[in-house]
Amino acid sequence: MTAYFIEEKDFNDFINQILQVMPVIAPVAKEPLFSFEELQNAEQLRLDYDLTILPPKKAFFPPQQVILRFNAGKFEGTVNPRKQVLLGVHLYDIKAIDQTDFLYTENYEDINYTAYRRATTLVGSNIQNIAKRAFWGSISHDVPAKGQDAFMTKLDAKGYLFEVFSDKGEELLAYGNFQAASQAQIVLANKINQDIKEQCPEKLNYSREEMASTIRQSFKNTALWDELAEDCFSCGSCNTTCPTCYCFNIEDQWNVDQTSGQRTRYWDSCMTEDFATISSGGGHSENFRARRGERMRHRIMRKMVYLNEKLGSQACVGCGRCAIACTADIADPVQIVNRIMEAAHE
Amino acid sequence: MNNDTVMTETLAETFDSLNIFLPKEAKILKVRDTTPYERHFTLKYADGSKMLFEPGQILEVSLFGYGEIPIGLASSPTRENSFDIVVRTVGRVSTAINQLQSGESLYIRGPYGNGFKLNQLRGHPILVVAGGIGLCPTRSLIQYILDRRQEFKGFTLFYGTRDPAQQLFIDDLSDWRANENIDLYETVDKADETWKGHIGVITELFKKTNISADTRVIICGPPVMFKFVIHELDKIGISHDNIFVDLERRMKCAIGKCGHCQINDKYVCLDGPVFSLSDIIHLEEAL
Repeated sequence: MTAYFIEEKDFNDFINQILQVMPVIAPVAKEPLFSFEELQNAEQLRLDYDLTILPPKKAFFPPQQVILRFNAGKFEGTVNPRKQVLLGVHLYDIKAIDQTDFLYTENYEDINYTAYRRATTLVGSNIQNIAKRAFWGSISHDVPAKGQDAFMTKLDAKGYLFEVFSDKGEELLAYGNFQAASQAQIVLANKINQDIKEQCPEKLNYSREEMASTIRQSFKNTALWDELAEDCFSCGSCNTTCPTCYCFNIEDQWNVDQTSGQRTRYWDSCMTEDFATISSGGGHSENFRARRGERMRHRIMRKMVYLNEKLGSQACVGCGRCAIACTADIADPVQIVNRIMEAAHE
Repeated sequence: MNNDTVMTETLAETFDSLNIFLPKEAKILKVRDTTPYERHFTLKYADGSKMLFEPGQILEVSLFGYGEIPIGLASSPTRENSFDIVVRTVGRVSTAINQLQSGESLYIRGPYGNGFKLNQLRGHPILVVAGGIGLCPTRSLIQYILDRRQEFKGFTLFYGTRDPAQQLFIDDLSDWRANENIDLYETVDKADETWKGHIGVITELFKKTNISADTRVIICGPPVMFKFVIHELDKIGISHDNIFVDLERRMKCAIGKCGHCQINDKYVCLDGPVFSLSDIIHLEEAL
């Protein structure tokens, strides 16, 4: 890691210079929160954002992605990434991206993801404002963020510390008026990033191992899972807004000529009713998670238990998006985990 | 992911060769109506290459514009000039596939998953319990055993269907009835006037023969069938390590990513579709 400093007065110029060369996807204001969008100019950038509606994974794992095009029996893939910068990503989202990188690479590498991911320069930024349901201070907080090419910390009104972690991060230096950072600036940035961890409005009071083992032991407590899911609309908003969710469905569409068309994958949600349904013919079907409680259990097990060993942390990074998105307000992992932990001691 | 890759337009072609979602064209050599709902396809890759697989593995079979479905291979790799699948008319994709005639094409990805654990079956008596369409993936194993019969001990097949009209692979069944290398026991839930065999649920077939406790058992059929068959096997005292179940789930991607086929923390497409019973009996959503 090498650390640099860029003054506030030079910062917009830095962004605008990158924009001359390649797209920059970064947080901009969008009701009711913020959104990662392709910047038109540096003035739109809102590094003071608290949370974006959708997580930044969409920069290389879009909600809908054509994976092949066909025309009368001929077909071809569509992978054709462009170099781009994904900038202003908070630590919790960097951790989620790192998890998805692993999951899309293990066993079978899916280049429909990895090619776009590799073409992306990932630039993090410190959290200046905290979302109202965030709890990243107490989940996966001991897991270092990996995968960022550079990380910016706003030190004070004067400017940003810019830490570089890779060649891709290094390349960006050419676009801005950077100078070597002082030791005092590095220390200050560290303190800023440490202090903010204590300020989350929500908190989980258990260790990763305690949560994982108690939640797993609660697997067969059907009444508890049914209680947790009682008000669930099975809408899937908790999945759609989740930075660590990576499930998808695949469907074909014809073009109007009825000869050509495409095969598209799109984000899917395990909380929706038919996610695990198979048809067996003659109007018969089998839904392996027919009850809302079973689907809630699957979601929580996925986030808190099943992937821990593989990922070295929970598959939840504490962003709080699901809690905000849920109409019935039953999706918040903090409330769910606390309830499970309480129930285990009843 | 810090590989500093500079992308160019021409690289897109290279990507196609790495793209796990791109299928290969297969020609339909032969198609037969096996029942009013199921058709039996014999296929060969259009580029002449061989399908290399193990009995029990699955394919993603697609038709552009309709979509992709997971289907178990229904022939043995020992019969290497072609490969078979059976498609039941269920939804949009299978209905479209079942309109096809010989000479037309299907598009195939695979094979995927873990098949029947042949190394654990060799040298032992074998019982295959197949219900309905469960005879399709198990036919791959049945053919394999018949082709390499000396590698296995006694070989028994239980086959149950709703009624005689639902029986698949009529020609095979008539061969197997006469074949001394396989003990075939059949049953139907509901007979018609042509049926002279056993009537009743598949577990009743256990009364007709002696299955020894060292038998390796393969079960494939509708979800409801598993529990009852396992109950019978428990009575005989067959270890759950020696019972193998072939599970059906909604395997959309078959590469362990899309999430649809998960049973707890297992992906049926990666960890299965064939599991030893001891690996999954404790999973609540499995059987």
